Amino acid sequence: MPIRNEIQADIRKSYYMEYEELIASQLSFIGKVLSVFSHDINNHLAVLKESAGLIGDLIEFGKTSSRKDLKEILKITQSIKNQIEQTAYFCDKLNGFGHGMEKPLSAFNIHECIEELMVLLSRFINQKMICLEKDFTANMPLIYSNPLKIQFLMFCIIEKHLKRLDKNSRIIIKTVYANDSIGITIIPKGNLIETDEKLICNDEIYKHIINQLGVNISHKTSEETTIILPVSLSSSSNRR
Amino acid sequence: MKKNKNIKVLLVDDEVAFVNTLAQRLRMRKLLVDTVYDGEQALSYIKQVEPDVIVLDLKMPGLHGIEVLREIKKIKREIQVIILTGHGTDKDEEEARKLGGFDFLRKPADIDLLLAKIKEAFSDKLARFMTAIAFAQEGDLDEATKIIKKEQ
Repeated sequence: MPIRNEIQADIRKSYYMEYEELIASQLSFIGKVLSVFSHDINNHLAVLKESAGLIGDLIEFGKTSSRKDLKEILKITQSIKNQIEQTAYFCDKLNGFGHGMEKPLSAFNIHECIEELMVLLSRFINQKMICLEKDFTANMPLIYSNPLKIQFLMFCIIEKHLKRLDKNSRIIIKTVYANDSIGITIIPKGNLIETDEKLICNDEIYKHIINQLGVNISHKTSEETTIILPVSLSSSSNRR
Repeated sequence: MKKNKNIKVLLVDDEVAFVNTLAQRLRMRKLLVDTVYDGEQALSYIKQVEPDVIVLDLKMPGLHGIEVLREIKKIKREIQVIILTGHGTDKDEEEARKLGGFDFLRKPADIDLLLAKIKEAFSDKLARFMTAIAFAQEGDLDEATKIIKKEQ
């Protein structure tokens, strides 16, 4: 009996260790998204500050008397408006990402979920000089699942490719809808390199998240990965 | 403001809108400003032109700013480098200073502060040149070289 208890305790301990590792990885992923986001917002604010400063300079240095300078001020104010729109778009994506974490399960559009991830990670991916592209199918039904976990699973796959792809490569995210299932295929295109970069998501965590989500993974080639999500409780009338 | 006009500055940042606007503002303050948008461009630039001061971002596509700083100091140690970054850590600051970075500023920085730092960096470079010339005139070329290259 004591041996059985010890084995049970070991199993429990190993389960909790795996669970803690999974939580820690998900938190690292969220941390990555937030740090990339705050970096981007800071850059947007820096552009706004310099643009406002430039208008001030034009006035202060007395260069606003000519029509040409007034035109320049109008051009700067237009660029400020554009910058604010870009910043608002970015904030909207973080807002969606945050709402996705509110409930364990919800109905959502998979394309919006993928776009959130693409926008929020764009700076991180651009820094590696890799281009992330989308190839989305039309008429995608809503899906009932956990958006954060799907984004995390996609991040795990993308992160692995980012580690192995050379600069000027591409990663294409393609979606299809067939047989009441949604397929998300992640296709890397480019030269492979060797790096010793540490990943947020290791193989154990990857398997764990696949089990948790109840999705199937298929590999058409050694590089292409497809996540197959069953469309449960979807509303066929609500296609976007 | 006329006394700024001989200072050659290179701005290195991948945020095109930011760097172009900042360049315009510094030019209005009579500085000679050029811009490049990543570390590799900065390194090719300094092989052809020698700016007095480089204002360098850290997080850029390709080469990280710290790597760029390391390379600049290998190629032309006398160029003064001011780091201007959105999210530099204390570790980044320590590393930048260790590699010979002149100062470390965080975005969004005030234009007057940036201008003051650029002038300070330029004066420091000029002072070292003057001292080096004095040593050279006395025949101590080794000491003159050490001063220019900011060696201990």
